Amino acid sequence: MNSSRRALLKVLGLTGATLPLMGCERFISSVTKQMGQSIPPNLSVAEEQQIDPAFHLLSRAAYGPWPGDLDRVRTIGAEKWIEEQLAPDKLDDSACDLRARRFETIWHEPGTCYEYKKPVLREEITRHTLLRSVYSKRQLFEVMVGFWTDHLNIDLEKGDCIYLKPSDDRLVIRAHALGNFREMIRESATSPAMLVYLDGKENKKASPGDVPNENYARELLELHTLGVDGGYTQSDVSEAARCLTGWRLRTGWRKGTVYFDASHHDDGEKRVLGQLIPAGGGAADLDRLVDIACSHPSTAKHIVAKLVRRFVSEEVPASLVTRVGKVFTATDGDIKSLLRTIFGSDEFKAAKGLKFKRPFHYIVSSLRALGADTHAHQPLIEYLQRMGQGPFQHPTPDGYPDRAAPWLGTLLWRWNFAFALTSNRVPTVRVALDQLAHAIGAIGPSGGSVKNGLRPGRLIPYFIGRAGSAAELGALNDYVGTQRVADVDEANYHAELVALVLASPAFQRC
Amino acid sequence: MRIFSHTSRPSRRGFIRQLLLANETVVPAAKERTLVCVFLRGAADTLNMVVPYGDDQYYKSRPTLAISAPSQNKDNDVTSLRLDDFYAFHPKLRPLLPAFNEGRLGIVQAVGTDNPTGSHFEAQDQMEHGEAYGRIVGGGWLGRYLRSRAAAELTLLSAPLSAVAIGSTIPESLRGAPTASAMESIDEVQIKTPLDDTAAVSSVLSAMYSAEIGVLNQPGKTTLDLLKRVETLRGTEYKPEGGAVYLDDSFGQGLKEVARLIKARVGLQVACLDLGGWDTHFFQGGSSGQQAELIWQLACGLAAFDADLISNRDRVTTLVMTEFGRRVYENGSLGTDHGRGFAMLAMGHGIKGGKVRGKWPGLAEEEAPGSSTLSIGGPSGLKVLFDYRSVLSEVLSNILGHRDLNQVFPNFHPEPVGLVG
Repeated sequence: MNSSRRALLKVLGLTGATLPLMGCERFISSVTKQMGQSIPPNLSVAEEQQIDPAFHLLSRAAYGPWPGDLDRVRTIGAEKWIEEQLAPDKLDDSACDLRARRFETIWHEPGTCYEYKKPVLREEITRHTLLRSVYSKRQLFEVMVGFWTDHLNIDLEKGDCIYLKPSDDRLVIRAHALGNFREMIRESATSPAMLVYLDGKENKKASPGDVPNENYARELLELHTLGVDGGYTQSDVSEAARCLTGWRLRTGWRKGTVYFDASHHDDGEKRVLGQLIPAGGGAADLDRLVDIACSHPSTAKHIVAKLVRRFVSEEVPASLVTRVGKVFTATDGDIKSLLRTIFGSDEFKAAKGLKFKRPFHYIVSSLRALGADTHAHQPLIEYLQRMGQGPFQHPTPDGYPDRAAPWLGTLLWRWNFAFALTSNRVPTVRVALDQLAHAIGAIGPSGGSVKNGLRPGRLIPYFIGRAGSAAELGALNDYVGTQRVADVDEANYHAELVALVLASPAFQRC
Repeated sequence: MRIFSHTSRPSRRGFIRQLLLANETVVPAAKERTLVCVFLRGAADTLNMVVPYGDDQYYKSRPTLAISAPSQNKDNDVTSLRLDDFYAFHPKLRPLLPAFNEGRLGIVQAVGTDNPTGSHFEAQDQMEHGEAYGRIVGGGWLGRYLRSRAAAELTLLSAPLSAVAIGSTIPESLRGAPTASAMESIDEVQIKTPLDDTAAVSSVLSAMYSAEIGVLNQPGKTTLDLLKRVETLRGTEYKPEGGAVYLDDSFGQGLKEVARLIKARVGLQVACLDLGGWDTHFFQGGSSGQQAELIWQLACGLAAFDADLISNRDRVTTLVMTEFGRRVYENGSLGTDHGRGFAMLAMGHGIKGGKVRGKWPGLAEEEAPGSSTLSIGGPSGLKVLFDYRSVLSEVLSNILGHRDLNQVFPNFHPEPVGLVG
């Protein structure tokens, strides 16, 4: 911890008790500004006809560029930036920490979380996720946290999941997001939240008549490891379910923690995916099963294809999947190695601007591009919910879809978000458009009743990483032309123009 | 009209203007039919909804979960409600009894797919795409239906409210539709800009989206058309008819929006709604509990919808389906695992209701649990006697008058189900 941060925390500690909550947040906002969460005085924009490679990288490996990020990647080079991102602990994230670390419940064990009310738990984990996504300098880490949160989806609203997901987020997802795939799956298999979400805690063989609960076993094979076409059979599902019997959650003291109950375990011989698991394995049956599933060739293919779909294109290039699949096998599922190969590939470099941002990506990239100041209160989260991507709200275990089609109906809500955001009408979110416009050289004399106009020719490249097309420039210049003769409020006029860029088709893509 | 000049031919403009005047005679009655599709996501246990109380095996397989046979005591809410000598409703389906007894609600037993994966997502996708297993057809079945009709009736079917999904996403079944919109309520369909000049902003958006060559072109156009179209509908208070009382849940409120659109005669052809949460592996409950609460939501929603449409019943048909049924026998955690066949519900115009159609396939345990010879679809689910497309085909051809079923379900030869008169 550097000395300036220690001093800041001291001040926060002294004042925190006396300041009302919003006052405290205002204070954090001004402090984080001093720590670099601000708009630099000069920003370069990418004005080539094709999307700038550094902009492309920041659009995929991060939730879009924060003001100044583009200059930084251009200065140090893509490779070095990726290596920095792959060692997140070495990146100083104290400004983000000030905003995001203060939520108590994300640090608690399941048992302690039961002492909180559900709305508090829901709000804290959601705000924590959103704030980290917007402000963290460890952007690739956050993007991967989002990826695995979908992959090992848990809906807060099922059963007791809301009490258990905070520790799952910390100990399964965040602990392994850039680690080893098998270790993450092993951790997830006995994560209290997963045991509730997919009924694992109910899967028992306590008496001869007990029939296993197959829910988790099936999703482990179908979604978490091999994939639905991975070559398993119903018999593999049933046998896997037998391996998984006996994992229970405590109900009284240390409520919500996991233990293995041998008397609920089916200790007979099992055969999963052609491999024999001898009788008497007890709790170790689960480890064996996870090993068998994770080292199955279909798993490498399935996981790599999902990563490639996320980072390269919806139509997955088979050549790249083969190459990265080999890396998966050779490194025993080392996630950093997979990402390094993907971002270094020609397929990645060629796939510019092809992906349709999901609502979460759209909102976070808008906030980042504008250098917005927010503490992620409910009004902001509601926009995500309205577009169907509230964090930890996906009901079924497949996670939010990573294809464009299901999200194509969200345009109206994106447009409305853009108009509200730029005109400071999203309660508790603040943007400084003029400061940004000056930094990118978009502001200039306009004539007519608007003293200062914004130049679409500079605005568009800043947000989309390339020069505006004829259609984009034509449409926005027409708009500027009509507003010039009208008697309009300058701030609102600027807000509307910037919002139109955020609402444009190009900014929906990345 | 400048902003829509790239899409609107003069004739269509005139047509839409007439529609906007809410002149009910503009749309030929036969074409103002609406198909409402309700999808119970998560594989609903229809064995506990349309209870086969006449089969002892049902009670043997479900010692704790089975719904008890109908009793004479009419006031109890524990025993099932008699439909005939073999079947009875789950007690929470009581609100739908009148529709069944009056012949508006029909049931088809043992419907399903040939999907062997036992995967919710695969099975839902297959059904929504209207496919046989592994035979990929482009788009969703409703998308293809609307698309194949649109060729003949372009103006009507590309109207912005011709296909609506209640919620935040457009379901796979509507993939490929000429137009489709997702919304929770028409009141929220509006654009709010800093300068309050929707026309200026729409004009810019229209220019930029129409220049798109990728997937965003059509959604951009649809959204702008929709905004224009709902301007006249928004803000009017909606009063349900027939004493209908919609619950405050999203399913009930969604059906209310659908009724509102139907009565506004905006050209709504297809509406899709989801009711999720049916994946009851654990603690499913019987006459009360987890599944019972969902059944109650379903029944109250459909009953209110039925009542509300009292003066529009000849225009609306509602289908209720799920991706597969559940095992006949309960599992060790008071729930049921994935099975096969299920019962489909159909209500409204054209339905020969008051009867459970299809043979009862029986509940014989052909395959013992734990056996390694099982098919992947799971053991001892209800046997499938009707391909789900047979039911959908009958509705499309006999109610909606669609002749070219091969465009909707290529290479499929439907069997007569007898659901539609």
